[in-house]
This record gives sequence, structure tokens and C-alpha cells, in this order.
Amino acid sequence: MILYLGRRLLGVLGVLLAIAAVTFTIFYVLPSDPAAAACGKACSDERLEAIRAHMGLDAPLWRQFADFVTGIFTGRTMGTGQYALRCDFPCLGYSYENSENVWDLLVDRLPVSASLAVGAAVLWLALGLTAGVTAALRKDTLTDRVLMVGAVAAASLPVYFTAVLLIYGLIRLTGLLPYPQYVSLTSDPLGWASNLILPWVALAVLYAAMYARQSRSSMIESMAEPYIRTARAKGLPRRTVVVKHGLRAGMTPVLTLFGMDLGGLLAGAVITESLFGLPGVGRLFYGALTSGDQPVILGVTLLAATFIVVANLAVDLLYAVVDPRVRY
Amino acid sequence: MNKRTRTLAIALVSTLGLGLGLAGCSGGSPAKGGPERKNPAAANTGAVLGGTPQKGGTLTVLSNQDFTHLDPARNWVMPDMDFGTRLLYRTLVTYKAAPGAGGSELVPDLAEDLGTPSNGAKTWTFRLKEGLKYEDGTPVTSQDVKHNVERSFSPDLPGGPDYAARYLAGADGYQGPAQGKHLASVKTPDARTIVFELRKPFAEFPFAATLPTFAPVPAAQDKGPQYDNRPFSSGPYKIESYARDKRMVLVRNPHWNPATDTVRKAYPDRIVVTMGLKGNQIDDRLISSAGTDASSVAWAALRPESTPKVLTKPEVRARLLAESSSCTEMVQMHTGRAPFDDPKVRKAVQYALDREAVITANGGPALNDPATAAMPGSLFEGGKQPDTLGIPLSGDVEKAKQLLKEAGKPDGFATSITVSTNDKGIAEAVQQSLGRVGIKVTIETVDPSAFYDTIGDTRNRTDLVYTGWCPDYPSGSTFLPFVFDGRYIKEKGNSGNHSLFRDDATMKRMDEIAAMSDGAAANKAWQELDGQILAKAPVAPASVERKPLLIGTNIAGAFGHTSYGGQIDYATVGLKDPSKGAN
Amino acid sequence: MTAPPATAATAPAHGGGAWRLVRAELRRRVSLQVAAAVIVLFALMAAAAPLISSLGGWGPEEFDKSAVDPYLGGLPLGPLGGVSAEHWLGVEPVTGRDLFARVVHGAQVSLLIAFAATAIVVLAGTTAGIAAGYFGGRTDTVLSRLMDLTMSFPSLIFMIAMMSVARDVNRILLMVLVIGLFGWPGVARVVRGQTLSLKHREYVDAARVGGAGPWRILARDILPGVAGPVIAYTTLLVPGMIATEAALSYLGVGVRPPTPSWGQMIAESVAYYDTDPMYFLVPSFCLFLTVLAFTLLGDALRDVLDPRGSRS
Repeated sequence: MILYLGRRLLGVLGVLLAIAAVTFTIFYVLPSDPAAAACGKACSDERLEAIRAHMGLDAPLWRQFADFVTGIFTGRTMGTGQYALRCDFPCLGYSYENSENVWDLLVDRLPVSASLAVGAAVLWLALGLTAGVTAALRKDTLTDRVLMVGAVAAASLPVYFTAVLLIYGLIRLTGLLPYPQYVSLTSDPLGWASNLILPWVALAVLYAAMYARQSRSSMIESMAEPYIRTARAKGLPRRTVVVKHGLRAGMTPVLTLFGMDLGGLLAGAVITESLFGLPGVGRLFYGALTSGDQPVILGVTLLAATFIVVANLAVDLLYAVVDPRVRY
Repeated sequence: MNKRTRTLAIALVSTLGLGLGLAGCSGGSPAKGGPERKNPAAANTGAVLGGTPQKGGTLTVLSNQDFTHLDPARNWVMPDMDFGTRLLYRTLVTYKAAPGAGGSELVPDLAEDLGTPSNGAKTWTFRLKEGLKYEDGTPVTSQDVKHNVERSFSPDLPGGPDYAARYLAGADGYQGPAQGKHLASVKTPDARTIVFELRKPFAEFPFAATLPTFAPVPAAQDKGPQYDNRPFSSGPYKIESYARDKRMVLVRNPHWNPATDTVRKAYPDRIVVTMGLKGNQIDDRLISSAGTDASSVAWAALRPESTPKVLTKPEVRARLLAESSSCTEMVQMHTGRAPFDDPKVRKAVQYALDREAVITANGGPALNDPATAAMPGSLFEGGKQPDTLGIPLSGDVEKAKQLLKEAGKPDGFATSITVSTNDKGIAEAVQQSLGRVGIKVTIETVDPSAFYDTIGDTRNRTDLVYTGWCPDYPSGSTFLPFVFDGRYIKEKGNSGNHSLFRDDATMKRMDEIAAMSDGAAANKAWQELDGQILAKAPVAPASVERKPLLIGTNIAGAFGHTSYGGQIDYATVGLKDPSKGAN
Repeated sequence: MTAPPATAATAPAHGGGAWRLVRAELRRRVSLQVAAAVIVLFALMAAAAPLISSLGGWGPEEFDKSAVDPYLGGLPLGPLGGVSAEHWLGVEPVTGRDLFARVVHGAQVSLLIAFAATAIVVLAGTTAGIAAGYFGGRTDTVLSRLMDLTMSFPSLIFMIAMMSVARDVNRILLMVLVIGLFGWPGVARVVRGQTLSLKHREYVDAARVGGAGPWRILARDILPGVAGPVIAYTTLLVPGMIATEAALSYLGVGVRPPTPSWGQMIAESVAYYDTDPMYFLVPSFCLFLTVLAFTLLGDALRDVLDPRGSRS
């Protein structure tokens, strides 16, 4: 087990390094010049050179990459003389746009994206699993059909459509809810929830539909397994059979899906955040992309990749807990 | 909202835009978009909305974005300069807080007067007022002004105005104060006197002295690049908190002495800027103006798709400001490359361009006016562009076709245009209108961040580009030479002269006008030259944009300032009823 | 769920039997008929876009200034977003372009991208999956690592990044490639699993003993065996591809103007949802309908062709 974990963690580091390298290369060939963008419209050649040197953009690609990677662990000093900026571990550099430490920016934005993702996840798990399991247990009944038609329809709705509908119905038309404006959970829990409820619902509708479909099919499959029949034959109450045996085995594929989805969403739901104007990691990324803010782009990409690989790892480890058949 | 403000912000990066004689710029002029209907958004031009504000309360600013830079050494985007210099830091000279033409008048701010020239306008001396203080109560000194001027040279602090670099003597190769080096051409004989030694005569130096470059930054507070996130206040407000791209809260600076300040009224107790909102949500909130939104103003321009919701309701329309931005947007043609090296082809483009479609694509007559000359109306008599070319608004297809035939291109040709992503709609209108005469245009959209870089590469750029210029001064000298002087063309990083226009007669005339000592005669000459250049057709003028801004029902003292591209003057805006503005 | 698991496990989708089942299923369920009809309709519409839109008399890029009111921000004149005898579905605000022509041409672009990307994904995924599953050993290790790596990429973020970096290229082609790049591991995993299970079946062993070379076995015995799950999976991939195209266009990194695509149309129209709802509803509804139809069809195909659900 320990050995397995160690090997996996090493793999995680390798993946992250590869992703960093790819991102770095992509943006190195980017036609826009961050130095020119920073310098502004009326920019003399020698000033441009000075800015480029200050940003470290005059070094060759491999050198910049090596500096970046070692800088993450050892920290870096950027700028000159009195204006030198010290960036300590974990150093992802400074934003070209606003000279903020990228790590601090990520830490600052993460709660917003995490609130969005976790809230929506709770909602879609509750909705999706209930619907999926109910449909599976009443397979081929009217309930099953209604739930599944609803799920297919909901899964076909693009998130921007749902979002616009919610904004129009609950904000513009009736004024029931405020325009989403993020407030932190710790300062105002009620405000936090009431501001996030619409984005949660918008996201959850889509995912709940997918989860309902997935959990229904894997539930049906696991309920057909011989050991379930055995459990039933033993005379165990139906409830125990469903929850202790059927659900546990049936949840494995759902868990895989959940790991990927949550991992992806934690690092920002670009469209949802931009639709609702939430200052999360997704919006940070999109803004950085339009302004060519390379350090921020790199930071967000690495964060997102980290979440995905770590979520996958966590899911694999959880398998052993959920599904007694899995052993490492 | 992103679209509009971003365009504007980028387009104005190098702009100081003074309005000159804007009195009748738009309000009185017959609506050019259609003679039978009046511009529905121009009713408030030159007016102050909401009467005189009461002191106190919280003013909220609803914004779709963060400030580009508030560090005075780096702040060179029009609305940001308004916000910074009106609320957080004072400059040697500033603009009067007045709507319409009054906004282009200079008034002393930190200085006692508009500066004293000597040595044939090569030396400028300013003397600071007494009793000027920072937010911690320490006095503002001339050394602090010098320090910020020096900061503007630092490669660590890019983005700011380059007037200091252009005019100060002995500034070549100077890299800012970080290594302990200082500029000898800025002298501070005592704590209240500052002397600038220039390399050439510069009669318009007081205009440059309105720039944030000439605001004080005490060396002890200078944190280099991170000063941007917390500028030290010498103005009526100081920063209580600033979460980038999220929220900024300003509170009163108790050490600001109104007796030393003739411009800033500082009505609200607090100013809250909420950033990163969706543009159309800002519009919807201000239209319904409920709760604290009543005490709010828009930072970003009204979205074109929101105009029907505003213009059809008189009560809401009465709360819309739409001052001219004083920037002319143009289709600029690569005059050095076939087929645009032929003036007939270029003229054909002028005739084929459907400005009505361009205007509509950009929000309609309420949000911009069609351009009929190169320089914006603010540089002409009566604040209005003359109709130099006399081409019908939607173009003259027959005439254009005839010109193409004369040029030996009766079947047209294929070419391409580069626009910033935000101007996609405009590009489609250009594409459609040139298509009418057989010119097949491919659209290249470029991210705003890479736009100037892309079109500045003269060898690889497309034949056509869509971009504009805004005057830095109420004088043609800050427009025509930047846009049409062939000697400023650079192979890479070219800016301004995107038609790569190199015409000996034009350049000779520019030098003659620049040497004129009589300002009025020079202005007249610039205006004539504008027409002569357009006759040679390096560009096809398209539109002059407005800055449409909605304000809440509880807002008073609001007007679009002509010197800040039509942004609300933050020196005078406040609330009607301060008790309603709490949040 | 209709086919007994036992038969399906031995020879899924082998020979013509599976298609008979598909046809039977199609006859049995009305919803499937509707779904298939919708797909055929949109596919025809996409294929014959220029022809169909010429019926309406307007090209997709043709401005009609007389149909919009410039004084109201370019809002269409007339009710329902300017629906008239001339403009059957109304017009686009600001430009006055015909919505019918654009939605028809938009179908072409959206479906072209979705189908082409799906084709790439399926081709690459099947090849990689069979290779990994059949040859095993080092091939399997390398390919599986590559799949894991690709799946660890935050794909939407990377797609946006790559789309915004590239210039001077065919946007549609680029979009197809970029979407395809991140899609293949899903198929590859399914196919690899299926190949592993088929590899040691009796009939495959028999062929091997009979002296058939690996290529012959792959083509004659393995490929038909994996075809069923792949087809089912493919149908379910298409809606995801359509949605991805729409998302990328929505974020402004999709097709270049004035080319219409559904995603691009929705992105432009979201802002008009309350002032010109028709403009927003038309492309949204098309997108919704197509995605729904493909999902329904894919579900049914999976029930028949891959009842064990190789995905899980």
C-alpha cells in the first residue's frame, strides 16, 4: 500500500512537470509579446528591451523553464535594486498584469471556485444519485421513464441556457434573489449561500442529469450480480441489500466520474463563473488569457492539473474503502 | 460589458485626450445617422445630472473589470487617470471640473499656478502650494514629485505616459531611481519648488503636467511594482482595501485640505468599486436602480444590447450620460503595398465604406457618431467635424466601382483586415460594405493584448487595420503628426501611422505648422491639412465613439468629463440623499 | 438491457444480428424514431445548407439594414425578433442578417466539427486501444501512460489556450484537432478493455493456432468484436463534441467571423435574451434538440450493442 502510494505520488509529479512543460511551450510560441503589452502603445525600442530583460523574457526557452521549475521550490527574486521582489516557496512568479504573487492570487480565488464546485457537487450528488437509484430500483416503470427522460433533457441543456433562465426568472422578473456577488462563507454564511444558489443550480442541473444516468445503469448492473441474489436469498432486508451491497458496488464508476468532475471544477468553471460574474479561478484564467498574463495562465493550469491528478489518486484509494473487491 | 470598455481602455492607452471647444460637439448637431431622427442619447451632453450632491453616504461604482494601473507612474488609461487623479493623488496641474468645453480648461492643482516657462519654454518652474499633506499627515514635497517622474523611467514600472522621457534633457538611457541614480534635469532647489529642464521647447508643458506622472510619490512609501496595489494618497480619499479584480473601498483622507483644492468636492464619505461584474448585469441593475444600486454609477459603458431598455424609457434615458470620447476610429490602409499604393483604390474604399453599418454594429447613433474627418470634432471650429469628403453615410457604391475601374481593378480584389476581438462586429460591417464593390475582405481578429503588437509589425500585417487615435492636446499637433508623419514609421512596434503614409508635401507642411508661434493660426492650418491628407486617402474615417454611462436614481453632480474620454468626473459626483447610500 | 447478458458477453455485435436488434429497437420506440428523424433532418440541413438557405433568399453573411432599428441598438423591427415573410426566423440584431440562413449554415459548421472531431477520436482511440490491449507489454505501458497523461490535462483550459494561441490557420480544422487531441483516451480505454477480454477467447486462439498473423486477427476477429461498444460510445460522444464546440465558440475562441456556428450564435445572443428572446432561443433550441437526439440514439444503441456497459 505504502509502496503503491509512493509510486503514484511520483507519477503525479511527473505528470505535473509534463503539463508545465507543455503549457510553457504553448505560450512561448504565443504571438503576443508580454513585454510589449506591458510597455503600452508609445514604447521606444530600448525601453522595450529593458522591460523584456526585467521580465526575464530575453533568456532561451529551456532556461526560462528551468528557472521557473527550480523557482517553485527555492523561490526567486525578480526586478532590480530597490524594486526587487522576493517570491518565496511555492513561487509561481508574479502576474504581468498587476504584479500580484500568482500563488497568492490562486489562494485568494480558490475559495470562490471551491464554494461553487463543492456546493454544486452536494446538490448534484443528492439529486442525481437519488434519481438514478430510484429509477434503477423501479426499472421499467413510469417513474423510471419520467426520471430518465428528464435526465436526458437536462443533460442536453447547455449551462449558459440554464443560467440565463435562472437569472431572468429569479432575479430580473421576480427579484427573489440578488445578483450573484461573492461573499465569503466565514463572513456571512447566509449571504454566501443566497449568492451562490443560482450558480449551484445552474451547474448542478447538468451534472445531476449525468449522474442520474450513470448511477442508474451501474446500480442495475450491480443489483444483477450473483452476490446480491445471495444476499436476498439469505433473507436480508431489502434496504440492507440495496444500501450495503448494491449501492457500494454500484458506486465505483460514479466515484470515478465524481473524482474527475470535482477535480476539474475546483480549478474553476470558466463559463459558469463568467456568466455569474464570480471572481473564481476560472475567471482569473480567462482574464489572464485575454491579457496574455503568462505566469497566471501557467499557475492556473498547474493548479487545475494538480486537482485532477490528486482527485484521481484519491478516487483510486477510495475504491478500496467503497468496493471490498478492490485490494492493492 | 467587457467588450466596450476593454476596447476603449486599449484604444486609449496612449491618450490624454483633451476636449477643445466641445460646446456643440454632439448635442446640437443634427443627428447624422438619419436626418429624420434625433440622437436619442445626446440629450444630456454638456449637462450635470441630478443637481448638486449632499455630503456623505456611500457611492458605489459598478465595474466589469479591474483598473489597469493606479500607480501614478504607470496610469495611462483614460478612465483610470480620471479615477486616480480625481480621488487618490493630485498632480501639478489638472483639468477644471466642468461639463462640456469647460472640462478642457487647465487649473493649478499641487502647483500655485500653471507653471512658469523660461529659456524659450525649455525650462519650466512650478511652485507647490502650502499645506499639502499625504494620508499620514506628512507634507507633500517637490522631491516626491521628482521621485515619481524618475519612477516612470523604470523598466520595473512599465505602462505609463512617456512625456517625461520624450522631453526631459539628459534622460537617454536612464532606468529609474531603483539603483540610486537620479535625473539632473529635474531640480528641486527647495521642498516647494520643482524645475524641469527640457531638451526642446515645449509650450504645452502644463498639459503634460496633468498626467499622473506629475503626482507625488514619497520614496519611503515606494514599493516598486506593488505600489500599484496600494498608492499612497495625496487626494481626498485613501484606500481602505483593494482586492484586485474584486473590490476596492475608499474612505476619506482626513489630511486632505479642501482649502488647497479648487477642483475636488469629495461629497461621498465612502466610495466602493465592485469589479468583475457582467456588463449587462450592471446595466440591468442600474436600470431598475433598486436599493444600493440607486447610489451607484456605471464604470463600463452601456452594452449595445441594453440600449433598447434604456432609450425607450424616458425616466431611464434621463439617467444616461453619453459624452464623446474624442477619438476617431479609422480603416487604415497599407499605402506602401499593392493595391493600396494606388490612391484611386484607397479612395474607392472611402466611398465603399458603409459608416451607417459600422455605427450600427457599434451600438447605433446613440453610442457613436459617424466620422467625417480624421481629427475628432474637438479639434475643429465649433467642436464639430466638417464633412470633408462629402460621401453619403452608407457609401457610394457606384462611385467606388468607377474608381476601381479607373485603377484597373474592375472586379475588385481580395484583402484582409485586422481588428481587436472586441471590434468583430465592426469588422463584419466593413467586410460587408467593401464586398459590395467586389473587395473581398478576410477578417483577422486578434486578442486585445496582442493587437498593437500585431498591427505594429509592418512587414507581416494585413493590408487593412481598424484602429483609432485620440488627441493628447487640444491641438492638431497631437493628432496629425502621430497618424500621418512618415518619419515616425517603425518596421516593428509601429504605432499611430498604421497607413504607413509617407508624403513629402504633408511632412513639410507639418514642420511648418509646428514652427508657428500663433496658436490660432496653427489650429486653422492643422484643420486645413486634415482635409488635404484625407483627399490623398490613406485612411477611411469611420466613427467617433461616445461613452454611454448609466447612473442610479440617487446620484447627483454627474457629467461625462471631456478630458477623460467622457468618463464621469469623480471630483464632483455624489449622492442626492446620503442616508440611502449605506452598504 | 433488452438483450440477455449471456449472448452479448460471448459475441457482442457480431455479424448482422446486432443490426437486426437495432432495427427492432428503432421500430419499437417512438422516441427513437423522433431522435433519428431529428438527426437526419439536421444532417440534411447541414449538408444542403446553401441550397436550403437560398430558399429563404438570404445568405448567412448578408446584412439587411432595413430590418433593424439603429436607434434602438440595432434591435430587429417587428415582433418576434423580426419574423416576417422575408425572414422566416427573424434577423440577428445589429446586422440584420437572416437568422434562418445563419442557423442552417451554423448547423453545417457545428455538425462538421462535431463529426470530424468524433471521427478523429474514434480512429485514434480505437487504434491506440487495440494496440495497447492486443500487443500488451511495453506498448501497453507507453500507451496507457499517455492516456493517463492526456486525461490529467485540464482539457477545457488547454483547448481555450491552444485555440487562442494559434493564428493564421483554418479555425475549423484546428478546432477539430484540438478537441480530438483530448478526446481519444476515453475511446482508447473502452477499446483496450474490450480487446483484453477478446484476446483470449477460443475463436481468437483458434485463429492464432491456425496460423493467422496478428494483423489478420486484429482485422478479422478483434475489430468486429470491439465495433459494437465503439459505435455506441461514438453516438454518445457526438453530443459532447457539439457542446464543446459551442463552449469554445461561446468563450470567443471558436470559428472566425462571419462564419456562423451554433455556439457562436448562442454566445452572441445571450446578451439579448430579454430584449430579443427569439435570437437567443433559435440556436439554443437547435443545439438542445440535436444533443438530445444523439443522446437518445446513443442510449438505445448502447443497450443493444454494448449491454454490459464497457465504459464502467
